[in-house]
Amino acid sequence: MEQLCLRSKNMKRLIIQFTTAGLIFFLLAAPQLAHAEDSILISADTVYTMNGKTLSPGQVLVVDGKIKAVGKTVSAADSSTQEIKLGPGSVLMPGLVDPYSQTGLGDDGTDERTEEITPNFKAIHSVDWEKSALRRQRENGTTTMCVSPGRQNVFGGITAIIKTYDAGNPILNEDGALIASMCSDPTASNRSRSRPDTIFVRQPTNRMGVVWMLRSTFDKVNRASAGESEFPEIKQVLTGKRPLMIYARMSHDITTVETLANTFKLSPIIVGGHEAYKVKEMLAERKYPVILDRIDTRATTGAEQSKLCWNQAAVLDQAGVTFALCGNDLLDQARFVHRHGLSREKTLAAITATPAKLLGVQDKVGMIKPKLDADLIAFSGDPLDLTSRIQWVMVNGQVLAHSKSITETNEKNNDAKLGGDSVKTKEGN
Amino acid sequence: MVAGSFSVAQKPIAIKGGKVITMTGETIENGTVIVRDGRIAAVGKDLKVPVEAQIIDATDQVVMPGFVEAHTSSGMSQANETNQTVPYLSVIDSIDPMNSYFRDARRNGITSVAITPGNSTLIGGQAAVIKTGGDFVDEMILKPVAGIKISLRPVSGGRMSHLAKLRKALDAAKKKLADKAEAKKDKDKKESADKKKDTDKEKKPSTATQPETKVESELDKAMFALLEGEIPAIIYCEKAMDVGQAIRLIKEYKLDAKMVLGRDCHKAAAQVAQMDLPVVLDSTMVYWEEDPRTKEEKKIVLPEIFREHGVKFVFQVARSNSQTLGSNFLWYQAATAVKYGMSEQDALEALTILPAKLHGVEKFVGTIEKGKDADLVILSGDPLKVGTWVDKTIVSGEVVYEKDKDEQLKRLLTGEETDSE
Repeated sequence: MEQLCLRSKNMKRLIIQFTTAGLIFFLLAAPQLAHAEDSILISADTVYTMNGKTLSPGQVLVVDGKIKAVGKTVSAADSSTQEIKLGPGSVLMPGLVDPYSQTGLGDDGTDERTEEITPNFKAIHSVDWEKSALRRQRENGTTTMCVSPGRQNVFGGITAIIKTYDAGNPILNEDGALIASMCSDPTASNRSRSRPDTIFVRQPTNRMGVVWMLRSTFDKVNRASAGESEFPEIKQVLTGKRPLMIYARMSHDITTVETLANTFKLSPIIVGGHEAYKVKEMLAERKYPVILDRIDTRATTGAEQSKLCWNQAAVLDQAGVTFALCGNDLLDQARFVHRHGLSREKTLAAITATPAKLLGVQDKVGMIKPKLDADLIAFSGDPLDLTSRIQWVMVNGQVLAHSKSITETNEKNNDAKLGGDSVKTKEGN
Repeated sequence: MVAGSFSVAQKPIAIKGGKVITMTGETIENGTVIVRDGRIAAVGKDLKVPVEAQIIDATDQVVMPGFVEAHTSSGMSQANETNQTVPYLSVIDSIDPMNSYFRDARRNGITSVAITPGNSTLIGGQAAVIKTGGDFVDEMILKPVAGIKISLRPVSGGRMSHLAKLRKALDAAKKKLADKAEAKKDKDKKESADKKKDTDKEKKPSTATQPETKVESELDKAMFALLEGEIPAIIYCEKAMDVGQAIRLIKEYKLDAKMVLGRDCHKAAAQVAQMDLPVVLDSTMVYWEEDPRTKEEKKIVLPEIFREHGVKFVFQVARSNSQTLGSNFLWYQAATAVKYGMSEQDALEALTILPAKLHGVEKFVGTIEKGKDADLVILSGDPLKVGTWVDKTIVSGEVVYEKDKDEQLKRLLTGEETDSE
């Protein structure tokens, strides 16, 4: 395992080589690579297949946007095959899969504020493909995202699984899981009925109300016959035809989810799970997977005063709980999860193969293996090293050049310098 | 938890077996650092260890000078006073050694820090460089007056009135200083004239009235020190446009300035480079900026831009709620700079000797050299690796942090409650 670690001494030299080599590469080769029909043979020092094997060196053949072959040496499809040779120290790995996100959805919010039960709302209808948030995501290595309605509704709606780049066929599943909330978020800004003229006259106003609405809705739908149910999406969940994701942070909320799941014979995926470590035995026994919220490296308590455990990924792993990471900065999340104690392989799996499996798209993404989509990331070095850079990201066989940093585009914008316009900014790496 | 650093004679400490990155250009594999009376007594290979010394085994570990944080407003009971023109106040009166900032700083390998009044001010008071180990502020002070904070970001109202207020204060002080010099000149003249008279006509009492010596106010004293360059100005620029104003002020009032730059100031990197001013970068070093007209987004990498302009800079960490994971660690900031092309050596300097020089405390801290303060950090591995932890932090020869004994960290990493919490 540790042999994968790259020695830091080489890093500086590598990075310099890569920045120059990478730039020249894109200026010369990028336009030709943009056709998915082409076959591309990529050679890297190390290939993390996330399929149980790590190849060093390794080669990956991509044909028509799909992975055709993976191995130590792979022969090119034909003479027209383009070759990409990554430099020394390079690492190729599958594009990252973010299993819970609101990024890329429209600016008008992800929560319906007039009703509390909206299982028929679909996240796919809010996806804005032009949004630069998607570009930021893929530049951070994320190629597949599960976009979800927000958590301020008891039943929020239906998730969608999409690529972060519209390469012809960017939707993996527009009719994904039902997302529900078992936390205090649906009560946020709800008031009692003293002001009937506001739109905030909606239930619930406390956590008991959240549980009641979940329970009574499940019960009502359960009693109704399939054809006449008001909420067919919930019916599908109850009959095991649609996955259920429930957002719950606190250990007592996760326990409530378990009770609900027992009553209605559900097998939910827990999202959030700040205190999942406190109920790890139950989660392992019930086989409820957890999508862990972003960790924070300075907070000891999270939302709703949840008590955080920075190393919860490793704690859950030891207990035998399946988990994945989420967030706009998946790579940095992974690096810190690894820092806090999770092994290298498990950390990388938690941002690739595991979330793909949780989302039911393991036949398309999450690994480098034949027939899967050619979603790849080329790194200058160890992906878990803070000093490694993403060279490029490939989505469905299309190489997307990494955005050039400001020094290359600065001259053009000189006239805008020192201007009085307000500039909107977003943090990122 | 932390004993006073000016307590009685300590036992010498010998840190053995580690890779010693001295930051003087020399890295000693399997080196030894000997600490005596709070200072570094010797550093090298195969040193003779005093028999009475406490041995710290640093085999497979890395020994570095403790990190120096060049600018923070943490660790105080309150970052800013309500009154905005208070150059005579000192952060020393507001530093709270029990603040969790100091615990975190020790955990993150920071041994010295310039505590500076916040950015929501006009002339905000005096910064001080202090050590992170100690129970009482008196025993933590390294440099009691490190600069006077001037912020160019208006607290309320616009930049015109903010700048006008600043100039008014500076002009008033400048005039008083000139008057003072004039008065002194007059006085000297008079005195020499009197003397002459005295020698001419002995024993005749002088009829000339002595000019009153004005009692200088605290405000005047501080402003005079600022204008005479005795105390540097620590100027915070929020936007690129503030950099231009700062440079005008520096030139006009001949200030000895150090710059703390908000992230927008990358657009003025060339001006900063021209002035050759020491710079503290914003804690958000990588971000996406939207063009106000075209709405196009552009990735901005601060360390890359300033490096290409030849500006020497140091880092600061995010105070709270930053979206950038890890930006609360100085080493993470340094690793980010390396990711975007800085050499590892330069990045390590920006954690140690560079900030020490910025505040003029390089004679005491910033490198591992004989005679310097024994401010050391023992790391589990190479400094910029994500898997590296601070194993021990030593301030003035005293071990102020040990990971093994960090109960809070233990809880955060295991999820298990410990008795001591």
